[in-house]
Parts: sequence; C-alpha cells; structure tokens
Amino acid sequence: MKYVIETQKLSKWYGIVLGLSDVSLQIEPGITGILGPNGAGKSTFLKLVTGQIKPNIGTVTIMGQKVRNNYSLFSRIGFCPEQDSFYEEMTGWEFVTNLLKLYNFSHPEIEARAGEVLKIVELESDKDRIIKSYSRGMRQRLKFAQAIAHEPDIIILDEPLNGMDPLGRRKIIRLIKKYKTQGKTILASSHVLPEIEAMTNKIILIHQGMIFAQGDIQGIRDLIETHPHIVSIKCNNPVKLASEFIKKDYVLKVNFSSTPDVLLVETNNREEFFSFLPSFFVKYNIEVDEISSLDDNLQAVFDYLVGT
Amino acid sequence: MDHKKTVPYFLASLRNVFSFFFFLGRRTKRTKIFYLISFLPVVMAFIIKFSQIFSDSRDFTGIYIFSNMIIVFYIQFLILILALFFGTSVCSDEVEGKTLTYLTTRPVSKSAIILGKYGAYTLLTILMVWIGVILSFFILNVDKLLDFSLYRILLKDLAVLSLGLMCYTSFFTFIGTFLKKSILFGLVFGFGWESVIQYFPGATQRFAIAHYLKSLLPSPPRGRFSFLMFRLEPSSPGMAIFMLFLITAVFLGLACLLFYLKEYILED
Amino acid sequence: MFIKEKGYAHWDGELKKKKFPWMPITRYGIKLAFRKKSFRFFFYGALAPSGIFLIGIYVSERLEDFRSMIGETSRFVNINPAYFRNFLASDFLLFFLVILLLLCGAGLISDDLKYNSIQLYFSRPLKKREYFFGKVSVIVFFLFLVTLVPGLILFIMKLVFAGDLKFFASYPWLPLSIIGYSFLVTAFFSFYGLFLSSLSKNSRYVAVLIFGIYFFSHIIFQIFDGIFKNPYFSLLSIRANLQQMGAFFFNQKAPHAVSWIYSLLVLSGICVLAGFVLKKKIRGVEVVK
Repeated sequence: MKYVIETQKLSKWYGIVLGLSDVSLQIEPGITGILGPNGAGKSTFLKLVTGQIKPNIGTVTIMGQKVRNNYSLFSRIGFCPEQDSFYEEMTGWEFVTNLLKLYNFSHPEIEARAGEVLKIVELESDKDRIIKSYSRGMRQRLKFAQAIAHEPDIIILDEPLNGMDPLGRRKIIRLIKKYKTQGKTILASSHVLPEIEAMTNKIILIHQGMIFAQGDIQGIRDLIETHPHIVSIKCNNPVKLASEFIKKDYVLKVNFSSTPDVLLVETNNREEFFSFLPSFFVKYNIEVDEISSLDDNLQAVFDYLVGT
Repeated sequence: MDHKKTVPYFLASLRNVFSFFFFLGRRTKRTKIFYLISFLPVVMAFIIKFSQIFSDSRDFTGIYIFSNMIIVFYIQFLILILALFFGTSVCSDEVEGKTLTYLTTRPVSKSAIILGKYGAYTLLTILMVWIGVILSFFILNVDKLLDFSLYRILLKDLAVLSLGLMCYTSFFTFIGTFLKKSILFGLVFGFGWESVIQYFPGATQRFAIAHYLKSLLPSPPRGRFSFLMFRLEPSSPGMAIFMLFLITAVFLGLACLLFYLKEYILED
Repeated sequence: MFIKEKGYAHWDGELKKKKFPWMPITRYGIKLAFRKKSFRFFFYGALAPSGIFLIGIYVSERLEDFRSMIGETSRFVNINPAYFRNFLASDFLLFFLVILLLLCGAGLISDDLKYNSIQLYFSRPLKKREYFFGKVSVIVFFLFLVTLVPGLILFIMKLVFAGDLKFFASYPWLPLSIIGYSFLVTAFFSFYGLFLSSLSKNSRYVAVLIFGIYFFSHIIFQIFDGIFKNPYFSLLSIRANLQQMGAFFFNQKAPHAVSWIYSLLVLSGICVLAGFVLKKKIRGVEVVK
C-alpha cells in the first residue's frame, strides 16, 4: 500500500528540551489517531508533518514530496492547529472566506464553500458575529471549518475536540469518519483515549517524544484493562466494603486512607470491579459520597507501560 | 477535485494576501487610532490658520508652515511611527498572535505572504498620511488655492512621504522577521540613529534613510527651523530616489529570505 | 443511597489578611523586567548620567587639580540646585525614563488583558487598588532607582567630598526638592504607563504609544512655538511640563515663561484621566451573594 505520510528518523529539540526523538512512521489513508499525554510531543510531530518547524534530524514527506516550504502541497492539506488563535476582529464568515481566497477559487465558489462548511459546523447563524465574541466550542468548530473548507485530501487535526461540548464532539467525530469513507487521510491527536477510540482503531502512542506503540487500539485497551487501578471510595461504611472486596479475586489490595471514611481499592479488572460495585452499595445499604479513580488517566497508563 | 488548479500563481497569491490584510488592517482598532493621530496635523493646521486670520498675522506663509510640518511632523515622526508599527507587525503580529499557521498552511509562497502583507500595510499607511497632508495643505493655503505652483509642492511632498513609508516599512518588515523585540530596536533606529546620523558631515549621513528623503525636499530658508537641515549635504534627486528603491528592495528581499528560512516557534 | 445535593457555596469564614497582598505582583514584575537583556542594557544606561554627575561633584571639590584639564568649563561643575535640576530634568534622563517605562511598563496590564489573567488575580483575596498598587510599584521601583536614589546619593556625596555641611546649610531644602521632583516624575510616568498599558492587549502597540505620545507632544509644541512664539504652547509637551516642574522644585528660572501651576495642572489632569480609565478597564469578577 502506498503511504501518504512518511517520516524517517524525525527528531526535534527546543534548545535542550527534547520535542521528538527518532520517529520513523508510515501513515496510510484512513484515520490515524495520535495519542499521548500532555507534553508527549504530539503537537511537535504535527508541526513537523505540516512543515511549521524544521526537524533537527530526519525527513518528512507527504505523497513523496518534502513538506517544508513546498507551498503547492498545501492545496491538498487541511490543518487545524491546537492554539486558540484567530484574527479576532473578523467575523466567522470573513475568516473562512478570506482564508479560502488564498486558493485559486472563484468568488462564487468561495462563498458557496464557506456557506457549506459553516453549515456543517453549525455556525451558520453566528457567521456574522466577530470571532472575539465566540465561545470556546464555537472557536474550535470554526478552526475545524477552515481546515476542511477547501476539501483537502489530507486533514491534520491537533486536539480537534478540545473545549467542545459532547454534542459538538459527536458531530465532529461523525464528520471525520465520513471523510474516511471518501478515501481521505486524517491524522488527529488527542490526550483523551475515548476521543481517539471513537474515531479510529488505528493509533500511534507517543510519549516523552518517542513513538511508544503503533497499531490497533484494542492492544492499548487491553493494556489499560490489565493495568492495576486504584479506586477511592468515600462512604459511611468503608470497613464493611473492605471486608467484601478482599474476597474478590479481581481485587489486589485494599487500603484505608488517612481520611477515616475513604477506602482505596486496587483492582486489575476495572470492568468487573465497576460492574459489581453498585450491587455492593445496595446490598449493604452504603451511602456513597464520592468515587474516583486515582490513576484513570493516560499519564498513569503510560507510566505503567514504560515501567516508571 | 483537481488540487493543482487550486494553487494560485505568485501574482495571484500576492493579490490575495494583499486583499486579506488590507481588509483586516482597515478593520482593526489600532488602525483607527493611527488614523486619528494622522488627523492631528489637520487640527493643528486649522488652529494655525484660524489664529492667523483673526490676529491678521502674516509672519509665515501657509506653504512655509506646511513644508515645515512635512519635515518636523511627518518625516521625523509620523511616517517613522507608522512604518515601525505596521512594518514590524507584518511578521510579529502573526507570531505573537499565533495566527501564522493559518497562512503557512495555504498554497501560498512565503514571499507572497511577506510582500502581500507589506503592500497592504504600506498602502494603508500611505492613505492615512495622504488624507492628513492633503487636508492640512488646503487649510493652510486656503487663501492661495489658485496658485497652481503650490500643487506641485503638494504632489512632491506626497510622493516623498510615500517613498519614505515604502522604504521605512520595508526596513522594519525585515527587522520584524529578524528580531523578537523589534519595537525597541526600531525606536532606537528611528529616533536615535536616523536623527543623529544626518547631522554628521560627508558620506556618514548617507547611512540614514532620512537623508535621501530630505534630499528630495527643498531646503527651507534659514530661520527658525533651519537647524533641522543642519549640515545636510543632499544627494541628487535621482540618486536619492534610486537609493530609496534600492533600500526597499534589499530589505524586502532579506525579509522574504529570512521568513523562508527561519523557524518561528509559536510560544504559549 | 441518596445523592447529596451539590451546589455553589460561599465561603463565610474569615480569610487571613496579608499585610502586602500586592507584593507578589511587584516582585514578579521586577523579576520579569530584569530577565530582559534589553531592559538591563537601558537600565544601566539610565544610571550613566548619575555617574557623570558624580564625577562632576568630585571635580568640583578638586577644582585646582583639574584646572588644567577643564579650563573655562569649570562653571559646569558649579554645584548648586541647578546642577541637580540639570541631572534630574535633563532631556537625556527623561528620554531614558520613557524607554525604561516602555520596557517594564508596556506589558504590565496589556499582557494580563491578553491572557485574561485579570480574573485570576481577582479570584484571590486581592482588591482592585491592590492590583493597581502591585503594578505601579514595578514602575516606581525602577524609576526611583534612576532618579530618587542617585539624586540623594549625589547630594550625600557632595557633603562627603566637601567634608563639611556648608552645602547643606546653604540649601537645606535641596533633599526635599530631590525627593519631591522624583516623586512627581515617577508618579506621572507610572500613571501614564499603566494608562496606556490598559488600552490594548498588544504590548508592542502600547510601547509605540508610550514613546509616540511623549515624542509627539513635544513636536506639536515645537511647531506651535515656532509659529506663534507663545510660551503657553509648552503646556502641550509632556517633556516641557516636567522640565517646568523641575525648575520650580529646584528654585530655578523656568525654561518657558509660564507658571509652574499650569504645568502641574496638565500633568495632574493626565494622571486623573489615567486613573479614571484604569478604574474602568481593570475589572474583576463580581461575586453576587
């Protein structure tokens, strides 16, 4: 299969800070999710792929062509940057139409495309408001709109769902999936696993500037499931709860925290643990104040995977 | 879709970037404030003329005041401030505002971005200056509007100011692409170097843009303002125009080259 | 199992009051300014005149030793209130104060506006005036270091080099003049700088305004003065007004034939306007109980 994006030994330093180290990848058409905790190097990777910054070592090619300063290539690329920055004095309509003017489209075509894309991201009714007055979610949708307005073959999205409400997220995810069926290549980054999971099953795990894993999402899901989780339960009868949990084989350890009514339970099967939890509460009439998973985040999973 | 067709030619890109920033430039609040500042000479002209009429004072002719206003206010202050702000904005605004990505991920060459935005801002500033100059001229010379020789002076002044804006803006565009703290350097250059160097004799003063601009203006008769032309050893008009175009071309070329080569990190 | 009702709750307890809640703002502002190489360069540059004037004081006490070197120019090292006026109200020092102001003051409020951090400040037990005080103290700190501190040191050094208190006996009011004028200049520039900083989110633009208005006001004065030869036009110039006040504080002949009261009114007017704008622009989040 022909790869759309290829990187060879890509490395980037910001002074003495390592941004990305020795990344060699091939990305095929379809949706590829880049997953990693904050500061992992996702944005650096996407900036290198879009030629925003120069690699210290290595190369990036898109469709076999070098990217940096190869401006004709950008007629086929749509980029949604991470930063929440705009030409604030413009309206949403002016922003999209003015950026479309930078392509070789005719005036009616620009208007038609802008109208269509603003309809897609549901900003049609707010298109004449200045961007400064937009909410965070609207700004995010506008950023997405400018990336897809010229119908690119390759769509690169840096944290595209940041700041969006659940409905907006669902809509954008549906759109991204639709583009996949059109044979486009979509590269989307996030630090939230369910977001990426909802888009694709092809992921790249990035951590501390290095590619940690690449492949099917089920693999990482399995790793997360087997990763011991600590769950904190604040309730009126932690002793009773502890005595019940200790009998279960999916519970590795039970601890009482320094706060008397808080119980810490370590499990290696989150799914089973959480499916039985409500029944315990009902059975023993336990009043619960709070349930939280102390390490239910990507950073914890990565720490577990890399053995730190 | 045939994506090759959506890549505009260089001149079309230039025009597109120009219209983008000419549109945006007119919209911003700070452009409006600069428009107001460039209207101050009009207010000054009005006050001067008004008081001359009522006091029946004929110490200075309208064209004498106008010519000095061009040097003292426009050449030594306004065009420097406008060029400094708008010139450095060409690149710095995009980097500081983190909007650079929107431009550099389009099928537009980096030279077209710099030249188009430079063109838009230069035209904006020229318009700002022209409106103020033309109105001041008519107010100060309201009693001699039929003296057509005065219009030649007006046209010449407008041309010199436009050349000045073109040249200074290109220099500051280069400074903006090169330095992070471009404003401070620009102030030191504009109000330090440019003022001091022209008082030096011989070839030294040729290292200032102001020297070529002043070479194109008539030397005012010795009097209250003559110290401003102190020791000016003017270049010939042809040479001055050539040098102004050359400086503009060189610094624009350098700005484009630097923008092409340099990596701009959009910091949080 | 029941779910407890969750809602917003107001803190009704008493917050421990800090004596100087604005202090961290000032400390951070000073630290931030000193991190800039360009600021350090101009800050030390602004201290250069005090070095030169100190040499002048030294020479004045050893006039005979330097007679062959300075010859006729010895009148320049005649140490009197005019000497101190020339130091504190010189074009050079005022120019450097403006440059320092644009380097340390341009971003003080405009950066907070840009990054929406004013709300963060006011989510702490910090009042509007304490925020303002924290910001203004940054400017005051630096401007005092190049006006008040060297001014007083020069005065003390004059007494030390002379070895007696004759100079103090002749001009007992001089230290008060130095303090008074330094306060005036610093207060004016603090209001002026913060006022312009609160007008825009773009600190580059604020820097241009700080310099441009100062310079521009003097150009207008020069043009009008050139045409009408009327000293009252000096009131249009920030620099001329500050120098008029300098002449008043050091009991010298004013550079322009206008009463210092008008200059004081102009400078105070700008400060009042600045205070009014700042009050409008610095807005915290109102918590309605």
